[in-house]
This record gives sequence, structure tokens and C-alpha cells, in this order.
Amino acid sequence: MSDTNFEPKIIGFFCNWCTYAGADLAGVSRLQYPPNIRVIRVMCSGTVSPHHVLRAFQKGADGVLIGGCHIGDCHYLRGNFMTIKRMRFLQDLLKFTGCEPGRLHLEWISAAEGPKFAETVRNFTEKIIKLGPSRLKLAARAA
Amino acid sequence: MNKLREKVRKLLKEGKVAGYVGYMLKDSHPLPHFFTKERLEEVDQAIVAPGDARYPLDKLLQQVASRYPEEIFAIQVRGCDERGLNELYKWGQLDPEKVVLVGVACPQDQADYCECPGPWASVIDSGEKCQPVAKSKRVARIDALGEEEAFKEWLGYFQKCIKCYGCRDVCPMCFCKECSLEHPDLMSTGLVPPDTIFQLVRAIHMAGRCIDCGLCEENCPADIPLRVLYKKGNDLVKDLFGYEIGSLESGPSPWKFLGDESTLETKPM
Repeated sequence: MSDTNFEPKIIGFFCNWCTYAGADLAGVSRLQYPPNIRVIRVMCSGTVSPHHVLRAFQKGADGVLIGGCHIGDCHYLRGNFMTIKRMRFLQDLLKFTGCEPGRLHLEWISAAEGPKFAETVRNFTEKIIKLGPSRLKLAARAA
Repeated sequence: MNKLREKVRKLLKEGKVAGYVGYMLKDSHPLPHFFTKERLEEVDQAIVAPGDARYPLDKLLQQVASRYPEEIFAIQVRGCDERGLNELYKWGQLDPEKVVLVGVACPQDQADYCECPGPWASVIDSGEKCQPVAKSKRVARIDALGEEEAFKEWLGYFQKCIKCYGCRDVCPMCFCKECSLEHPDLMSTGLVPPDTIFQLVRAIHMAGRCIDCGLCEENCPADIPLRVLYKKGNDLVKDLFGYEIGSLESGPSPWKFLGDESTLETKPM
């Protein structure tokens, strides 16, 4: 696969109260961002288990973007405390096993941050295109 | 050994414990054995199993204790086994009031082999304290590898997996009734080798819980260096959350509560 036609698949887990609403705002504001992202809406980013992230990578995702409320703004008060615990740990574990931790990104995006949402998705997609297809995916396909 | 036997005999005789989970030589094999007051003479043959013939006694104790929740049991513990008991107390799987320790200190060669940071129990009835190993060389070697090299190495190991679940079944800390590794929505079924993420999922479950007894690695028919993976997981939990595994002082596991404040920062893209 040549780099020029590489269209990455990116899975987004966005919390219902902040980032998903931010995505909505980006949409109604007609901000452009690449269509490589597939969005899964969750009630809280704290409900995203490392299982879901790993499963996404196993099934061929090139990147996973998790969006939640800023710390202190969680609809469930402290749900995102668990999000960052889990994701920081998972990023470090992926690094140790050489599974490209940069493919997993966590960003706090509020419902008012439409432009930030579009920019985050743009930057993340660019980054993933530069990285190329995920090693985990290639290994899964070869098996 | 005599000190240990004496203690066990006394505990059983005085009725302080309903049984003792330890080891005995059977046909010259050191095997786990459940000692009782009714067969007190067996205590003469109670032993400390050699390092290469260890069994998950914590796991056996969980089974016995769930069957007889009112009874108190004694159990032979090495440093790792005691860490395991402490974690199991925290996870509500055992009651600390119902457990009496018969402690063992591991010899130096065992500690070196395990790269064990705490090779003795808080009570020592057999053996003497030796030098603990603070840093694992096996983890440091992988840490020093480049990302691509590390992936190649791990992938090589992961692809040897025959999905026997031996690592999980022997693990004294694996007490869940339902297991993510067998959940069809989380892990592909009917594949050997399993999904590449198989060992990573287990590593996540072991983080902050693995007591570093090393039984998984010894049990693994494919010789996957699972211990290195879990040791690293524990190091990360310690670095990120300051949590000491198996220590009663360090409070509940960071995965058990949200916390009053969040000091971690997201990583830049």
C-alpha cells in the first residue's frame, strides 16, 4: 500500500456531554475535518475500557481518539479521572510492547470547543497518515 | 523446618485454625496439602516446597475459605503469597481475620531468579532474609530496545501462544467468575494463536494486582515471558499512581476508586 492512498481508519470514543456535543458544534458551524474518524458515542469517557481500545486496534483501527470533558467538568463529576488513569497506563504499556502508543490519543474537548474538535481530528488524522498502517493491524492480517 | 512444623502443630492442636494449607512430600513429589487436627501426624511431613515446585496456595485457600467462611485457616506464605493475600483482602476475596500466616523467607538464588523485590513474609518461620532485587534486568533490557524491535520480540512471543489459559488458571489473583479473555465481544474465538492483544488484555488486568509470583511464566507451555510484561505493568502503576502492590499501607488499588483529584496530564499529540 503506497502512502498516498493510505486512508486510515480512526475510531473515536466521545462522551455524550462534552466532546460529542463539541463534534455537533463543529458540524453546525460547518468546520471541515477529515472523514476518517468513526465516532462511537459513550455516556462518559470513563466507560471506555482499555479492552475497547485494544479491540479496536485488533480489528484494524489505525488510531483511537478518546474525547471527554475537561477535568472538573465531567457530567458525572469524576468519571474522567478514571479515563486518564486508564489511558495513561495503556499508552505506557503499548510503548513497552512496541505497539505505537501515539496511535492512542486522549483529548479533553468541551461542548463549546467546536473549532478545537475539528483541529484535533485534523491533526490526529494527519499524524496517523504519517505513521502509516498500524503494526498491530498488519500483524493481525498476517496471522 | 522444625520451627514451622512446631508452629503448625500448635495451631492445629489448640484449635486456633481449622486447617493449614501447606506442602507435603507425596511419592517424593512436593505437593500442596491440607493439614487438619484429625491427621496431626502428617504435620511431621510438612515441608517448604522448593522454589521450582511452587503452587498457587492463595488460590487453594480462596476455595477452602469460600466453602467454610466461618473457619480460620493457616497458610504457608512466601513474600509473593503474602502480597497476594493482602491484595485479595483489598478486593474482598478473603477476610484477614480468618487467615493465619506461616511465613517463609526465600533463599538468595530464588530471589535472584524471581528478581523479587520482597522475598520474605512479614512473619518468618523458615529460612532467613536475603538480599531483595530492586530492579528487574529483564524489564530493563526490553525498555532499552527500540519500539520496532520491542514489537518484533513481543509479537514473536505472542504468536507462540496456544491459548491454553494456563497463565490465568494458575494465577492466584485471577478470581473473576467471568473472564474477558473468553468474552466473544472482546476477544476473537476459535483462533490459535489468539488475537495479538490477548496478552495485553491480561497485562491490563494484572496491572496493580500481579504479585509477581511468576507461576504464570513457569506454567506457560510456550515460554512467553509473561512475568516481564506484568512486572512492567506494576512498575507503571507505581510510577503513575504511587501504588505498591501487596502493601496494606498503600490503600486500595488505583483501579478501584476515582480519586478526589486528578493530577495526571493528557499526553500531547
